[in-house]
Amino acid sequence: MSQFILYQGKAKELSYFPYIIEFANYKIQNIQLNSHEIKASEGIKICLIVDGKFDWNIDGQPFLLYPNDVSLTCSWQTIGSSKGAYDIGALMWITIKPLHFEANGELVLGEWSSISETDQRVIGKILSLNKKPVLTRLKACQQIFQNIEVELFAKELGYRTRVNHLIDELLITAVRHLSKQDNLRRDFPQTFLKLEQTLRENLSYPWSVEEMAGLVGLGTTAFSEKVKAVSGFSPLNYLINIRISEAIKLLSRKDLSLTDIALETGFYSSQHFSSTFKKLTGYTPREFRKNTD
Amino acid sequence: MDCIITIDINTSAVKIHAFDMNGRMLSWKKGSYPTFHPQPDYSEQDPEQIFITTLYILKNLLNEYIHPKKYKVTAICFSSSMHSVLAVDKMGTPLGNAIIWADNRGIKEAEALKKHPKGENIFNTTGTPIHPMSPIVKITWLKNHDQVRFAQTYKFISLKEYVIKQLTGEYVVDHSIASSTGLFDIHQLKWNQDSLDFAGITADRLSEPLSVFNTNLFLKKEYCFTLGLPAKTTLIIGASDGCLATLGAGIVGSGKATITIGSSGAVRVAGKEVLKDKKNRFFNYLLAEGYYVSGGPTNNGGVVFEWFARQFGDFSEDLDFEDVVNDLFKEAAQVKAGAEGLLFLPYLLGERAPLWNANARGMYFGLNISHERKHFVRATLEGILFEMYSIGKILETHRNFDSIYINGAYASLPLWTQILTDMYGKTIHVNDHHDSVALGTALLGLTQLGVYSNLEAAASTVKSVETYQPNPKNHEIYMKYFEIFERLSHKLKDEFEQIVALQQGI
Repeated sequence: MSQFILYQGKAKELSYFPYIIEFANYKIQNIQLNSHEIKASEGIKICLIVDGKFDWNIDGQPFLLYPNDVSLTCSWQTIGSSKGAYDIGALMWITIKPLHFEANGELVLGEWSSISETDQRVIGKILSLNKKPVLTRLKACQQIFQNIEVELFAKELGYRTRVNHLIDELLITAVRHLSKQDNLRRDFPQTFLKLEQTLRENLSYPWSVEEMAGLVGLGTTAFSEKVKAVSGFSPLNYLINIRISEAIKLLSRKDLSLTDIALETGFYSSQHFSSTFKKLTGYTPREFRKNTD
Repeated sequence: MDCIITIDINTSAVKIHAFDMNGRMLSWKKGSYPTFHPQPDYSEQDPEQIFITTLYILKNLLNEYIHPKKYKVTAICFSSSMHSVLAVDKMGTPLGNAIIWADNRGIKEAEALKKHPKGENIFNTTGTPIHPMSPIVKITWLKNHDQVRFAQTYKFISLKEYVIKQLTGEYVVDHSIASSTGLFDIHQLKWNQDSLDFAGITADRLSEPLSVFNTNLFLKKEYCFTLGLPAKTTLIIGASDGCLATLGAGIVGSGKATITIGSSGAVRVAGKEVLKDKKNRFFNYLLAEGYYVSGGPTNNGGVVFEWFARQFGDFSEDLDFEDVVNDLFKEAAQVKAGAEGLLFLPYLLGERAPLWNANARGMYFGLNISHERKHFVRATLEGILFEMYSIGKILETHRNFDSIYINGAYASLPLWTQILTDMYGKTIHVNDHHDSVALGTALLGLTQLGVYSNLEAAASTVKSVETYQPNPKNHEIYMKYFEIFERLSHKLKDEFEQIVALQQGI
């Protein structure tokens, strides 16, 4: 099929899919000035290199992209060609606008998606913590892109359902690849150390096992087993360790209330904080604070 | 029934064991914590996390094993890794993370101490090699580079002292941990004035040194209550992990040495006298009053093989790391001693004993066109073990030993033990215990409690389960390669320095 760029509001093919902002199959035969300037992407943009070699700048970092590489960027990230113009080659991309998506990872895709609420949270979290926006050698994406294109233009029976499903699948494929590529199984202790750093940087967040496992590209069963083998703790108990360790540090800062500390270290309430703290240390946070007076 | 609990706060985890009064292990648990590297040369740990993990694991072991089986805890005895420094303020609140043994930020301070007119004297008095690992060097670094923290510091303590302070409210340090600080006179058992002067502190900024057998320490009543332990449960302050591993290997007394290989490694002997080496290549740490553990540590143990496995192991079938490492061992076993002429210098992390050269680097030597991957595997393994042999060989010029006892996660692997046996050309024994540090800690505690009359008697209860005999032919081959290994290690001093200058310029 020939090349095209469909824009929401202009292309009738997208009229049943208001959440798709752009969908394109685009070939570049000669370089046009300013055709690809660096700017923020709208919503979630997934872009597949079909042919050629592209010199891009994503979120201030340079990347060289080759066929089957995929860029994955969110609204708070910038993307564009380093020289401001597309290099010669071929691309496919889609930009979708979730109902709700914040830089802290809160994600609600919308009614069209059949991804469960929990999984959407995990996907949002992974995307928000993503520091490597290029997925290398992700062959599976091209087929999905092509299927979306066929469905959109052919409009056969049930195509609306199919397109929605295909976009769910595209997202899942891309995010799974993302969480796996940085976390090779060969070195779980290293992966676990990186995860610990992420948890410490986002300690106020109510992490679930699904989210932690998702971040390092493992299923929850394998993840829990590996954490137990490495640390001696279940993932949630390990997390409590970190929360309490951090809380002890904050207790020496007199300007913080117990509620502040509880929320900052990820407890639901000061009661939840106090009871967990006492169970572990033998002291209530108040008593502990007095001891260091 | 009575039992004794041992708590070992090591570099990657806290391990808590329960032993019966005959030194038989009943149960154990571990909980790990990370090491942070905020800068390449830095290695730090979070003291609160270590304390909380210790409490958590202790509580689990008590609740899941000791209490249900109605054991009575007669004492809790402590071990920990050496050389950590944590600055705390007047309230006992940590000022930042603890700086652990692997931290190399004090390279310049270590050089300054080495060149200092009192440097050699400080080494001979304190027994601790002058190296960035040593607390005297770390405290001096803080004085030179972090004056605010240095000024705010009420005490400089180790992680073990921090945990004990939390549990008891007292600032105390055992003579064994103190003997690894470079600040403690191992002959007169008191803080050494020359060291204190160099570091710019007074003795009151350190903990009170106590005998390793000291029991005048009591758990705070809140902990007795939450842990379900009787009031006034005895705490035995204990010693350092390196010394306790030596006791746990059963080698207190003459004619014996122990080789430990975990991620790093060491060769040690234990005796009633300090070991004097003209080139200052060996440490002398106190196991207990009147018992010295002497020897040399290497940076490049199992960690080097793990590096090799990560880079060159076959992960194609989505195997786990342990499987990949095991496959490599199988591959190494197929190659004859000497790796058909391929030699490896394992100094990936610089080296402590016997070279004491932070700039040393790794190398494969003797490569020819017929070498395959399996030769690299074998050479890597042999290179790590040649280094263990080189420490033992120099140690032997000071102390005779006929029996060698082996421990640590790597050393006790059959292929590793056999190669070591062939290199040394001596019988090597594998001990009947999965954790020599825990056993050593229990033996020390049980000696204090009067179960054994002294440490020699305690050590004599350690049994070996397996004995390896050297293959004379392989020994001969290894000795020929070792000659080249040793010469290269010294010959390349200038080139090591040059390449490090380039590496640091990147």
